[in-house]
Amino acid sequence: MDIKKLGESLNPVERKVLKVLDNFSSFHDIMKVTGLKDVEVARALQWLQNKNIIKTKEEQKEIVSLDENGIKYLKYGLPEKIFLQEIQKPLTLSEIAQKTKLSNEEVTVSLGVLKSKAAIEIEKGKDIIISITDHGKHLLKHGFLEEQFIKEDFPKELSVLNEEEKFVVENLRKRKKIVKVETAKIINTELTETGKKLIKEKIEEGLIEKVSPALLKSGSWKGKKFRRFDVKINVPMIFGGRKQHYRRFLEEVRQKFVSLGFKEMSGPLVESDFWDMDALFMPQFHSARDIHQGYYIKEPKYAKDLPESKVKNVKSAHENGFGTGSKGWRYDFDVKKTHRHILRTHDTSISARTLASEDLEIPGKYFQIARCFRYDVVDATHLPDFNQVGGFVIEEGINFGHLKALLKMFAKEFAGADEVKVVPSYFPFTEPSAQLMVRHPQLGWIELAGAGIFRPELVKPLVGKEVPVIAWGVGLDRLAMFKLGISDIRQLFSHDLEFLRNAKVV
Amino acid sequence: MPTITFSLKDLQHLVGKNLSIEEVIELAHCGKGDFDSYDEETDEAKIDFGDTNLPYLWSAEGFARLIKGILGVQKGIPEVKINKGDYEVRVDKSVAKIRPFIACFAAKGRKIDEHLLKQIIQLQEKFCETYGRKRRKVSVGLYSYKRLSFPVHYRAVDPMSVEFVPLEFKAKMNLRDILAEHPKGKEYAFVLEGFDRYPILADDKNEIMSFIPIINSNFTGKLEIDDENIFFEATGTDEDAVNLAANIFAYALHDRGFQIYSAEVRHHDRKIVTPHFFNESIAVKNEQIKNLFGLELKENEVKHLLEKMQYSFSDYKVKIPPYRLDILHPYDVIEDIGIAYGYDKIEDRALATFTSGYAMEFNEFVGKVRAIVAGLGYQEVMSPILTNKDFLYNKMNIDDAGTIEIEECMSETYSAVRSWVLPNLMEVFSKNKHVEFPQKIFEEGIVNVRKSEEIAEFSRIAIASSHENTNYTEMRQMLDYILRCFGLQCDIEDAEHGSFIEGRCARAVVKGKKVAYLGEISPDVLTRWGLEMPVAALELNLSELFEIIKKK
Repeated sequence: MDIKKLGESLNPVERKVLKVLDNFSSFHDIMKVTGLKDVEVARALQWLQNKNIIKTKEEQKEIVSLDENGIKYLKYGLPEKIFLQEIQKPLTLSEIAQKTKLSNEEVTVSLGVLKSKAAIEIEKGKDIIISITDHGKHLLKHGFLEEQFIKEDFPKELSVLNEEEKFVVENLRKRKKIVKVETAKIINTELTETGKKLIKEKIEEGLIEKVSPALLKSGSWKGKKFRRFDVKINVPMIFGGRKQHYRRFLEEVRQKFVSLGFKEMSGPLVESDFWDMDALFMPQFHSARDIHQGYYIKEPKYAKDLPESKVKNVKSAHENGFGTGSKGWRYDFDVKKTHRHILRTHDTSISARTLASEDLEIPGKYFQIARCFRYDVVDATHLPDFNQVGGFVIEEGINFGHLKALLKMFAKEFAGADEVKVVPSYFPFTEPSAQLMVRHPQLGWIELAGAGIFRPELVKPLVGKEVPVIAWGVGLDRLAMFKLGISDIRQLFSHDLEFLRNAKVV
Repeated sequence: MPTITFSLKDLQHLVGKNLSIEEVIELAHCGKGDFDSYDEETDEAKIDFGDTNLPYLWSAEGFARLIKGILGVQKGIPEVKINKGDYEVRVDKSVAKIRPFIACFAAKGRKIDEHLLKQIIQLQEKFCETYGRKRRKVSVGLYSYKRLSFPVHYRAVDPMSVEFVPLEFKAKMNLRDILAEHPKGKEYAFVLEGFDRYPILADDKNEIMSFIPIINSNFTGKLEIDDENIFFEATGTDEDAVNLAANIFAYALHDRGFQIYSAEVRHHDRKIVTPHFFNESIAVKNEQIKNLFGLELKENEVKHLLEKMQYSFSDYKVKIPPYRLDILHPYDVIEDIGIAYGYDKIEDRALATFTSGYAMEFNEFVGKVRAIVAGLGYQEVMSPILTNKDFLYNKMNIDDAGTIEIEECMSETYSAVRSWVLPNLMEVFSKNKHVEFPQKIFEEGIVNVRKSEEIAEFSRIAIASSHENTNYTEMRQMLDYILRCFGLQCDIEDAEHGSFIEGRCARAVVKGKKVAYLGEISPDVLTRWGLEMPVAALELNLSELFEIIKKK
């Protein structure tokens, strides 16, 4: 910035300070000369320093200043002076105390001080009589060193005092609360080369500080300049209201599915074994159940709203395959157990509900984003709650080739990945089953989705006929973490307000 | 999901080919296995086999067999010759109601080496834990039979009447004491819960072989390196699963070069020879293959692909190997045709039918409300829905009016479904006492309330503001503004609520429905959360509000 523009950028306080800087350099002096408050001077110096007009130097110094009694004596005079003035003719101590209204302590101190200065004579008789000496008269006329000293400007640096003054300070420090000596930071300023040039420039006066309704009304801004702002200066941080980072990510996922032609489904958090597992052809007494260990509900234990005919179909599918060409699991299906309430262990329960619903559309594409719960230890990689994203496509004539194409579309849409692998996998409710591995541009090979074609033993009891259903679930948490730039999965549910306020918007 | 550990060299030896770890990883996919790790130094590889219905893969022998099929080293079902053995097992009626089924065989002609011992122990553990439902459905025992006198006897006995030295112990114990004191006894006691007699296996000299399914005897029930003669036993409550166990172990030991000898199991009313091969077959049709994979295959191609997956095939009848019980439907076999064909070779087909996409109307509505609240300067937070009653009620100074609780929770911290959202916000405040104020936060989410036998699920939004000058007015303004955005107004009623200051708490009613509570949080509640800054808050039922708006 050139010197002229620099001059135009100074605000009134900075100007006031700058004007005195070629004569004064200490903080205290600047305050005194400009009549500004210490915070104002501090701020102005900071601004001037930011603009490279001055440099400031901080030093630790011993500072002398007046204490409580010092300030009092400055106003009313030192007690020894009051004492001395009162004894133009000799008086007893009690007379002096009475006339001067000094405290006993002050009388005693004054006595000591005056005696040491040979300003008084003490006559001991029946009463102690005090009288003034010639030297005392001289002192009264010409003043006490201490008196002159406390009239000076405080605070003062101890190191710049002359020997006599230092002696006075030493004496006064021995007395009660007249002066104090403290270590303090002293700020000294020095003009930089820019500052020296600036101070020689004629700094333009009458710059407009701000636009106001009055200014606009009067038109008085015309032909005038505005004070130039330092636009590069740092400003205090503010925090806005905003949506939570992970929910925003999930919202984008929802939008993505909608834009791909999928319809959103939902289901309750408290499910029954029926929708969560049995309707998905997971046998009631089988290890396939172990991988979905869940949280059963204390009360009420059993669901009351299961569709009876579907329960009958599913029971038959488990027991004998429900006419699908399957042997079924060949055991006695427990109808009571199927009503047992459980917290949804996976989002596929919602798919089962949709398949059984009267509103099911064939062909149709469906998705859900669901909070699920799995019986697990909570640590850096496991939360008690987690979100699952899944769905299905139902249409006559679709097959594994369509499933592959769908998975590749997900790879592209969600991970920006062109390189994919579809490999065999296992899910209790799909046959065949597959998983999608994708080469993420930054994360390398990751497992993005599990998929398969729902077993006929699942579809027929719910839909009423055999139709191919491609089912899939995408694991987006890893992508969410990558996208949001976080390393601990628990941060998806972070309660750290600073983190939330500063989380990257992506 | 069972994770199987094996030595790569041992696997190479079993397959008879020098496979690289990369090749093994690819081949594992054919058994639905995912690579976990490989340590070059110890030569130890780990693979997760996800299919809980395919336990034959849970040892190097089974995995090697799969690989040999895929690579064409072996075609169709591998033959295992069962020699007739003279091992008799007598089953007493007393086990009928406890654990009725048993299958046995003997294996000889080889010495147990380190690899085999590790694999056998691993297979036994994984099989009994996962497929055997923690030994409830099936458990397996192996013995060195040179110490046994046949016939052996399977019967149930009074727990106090029998004593033996269990594995890794020194002193004799009776069955009741084993359940109470032996680590395995404590772990698996649940399997025998409710029975007053416990099953044992003993030889003809009444030497106890095993307390089934808990622990073997330290004398007979222990396999060691260099043992040559193995006696195998599987017991359980499901006859097919018991036979499957015997078949899987017989195949694994046969693959290691052992000769398998049958046992005769005599029940009081029948006798069977084990291992019992199921000889199951299933018919598949070309049409089904086409339906599932879009593949049009010739008969010889189908045969070739099925033989790679160790089935036998003739005239569209598929014979299933004895170590598999997972085939329920022709699709189960056809999946293997697809795997053998190669998923990567199956042609992609784009979905051609147009469908319109829709988000749920309610979720869109929630999105709008959240945007409005964020627009008022509030930071959204998100919390787990699982919580606990102390958090929901004690800390909020209110009574439990009906909560969904978890029956067997992992930890008390997560033992109930939240019935309202505001406690989550109070927790956020309590975790951020040193963060700059004002703190204005909100959270929308699912809550569940129990009303005797009914469960009600709602979406609710809690909004809270914490700073020196926060007050009732601030919340009332928030509520009015949100409602105004949807063209609604509310009636305000005085309310009493333990979480709020008396006289500074209100209930909002819209179209006759109580939709919200709002007010200033009481100092008592603030103190319970350790807060030193006032809080005003509001909780609004969005499910109810949505219904009102829809009806308008």
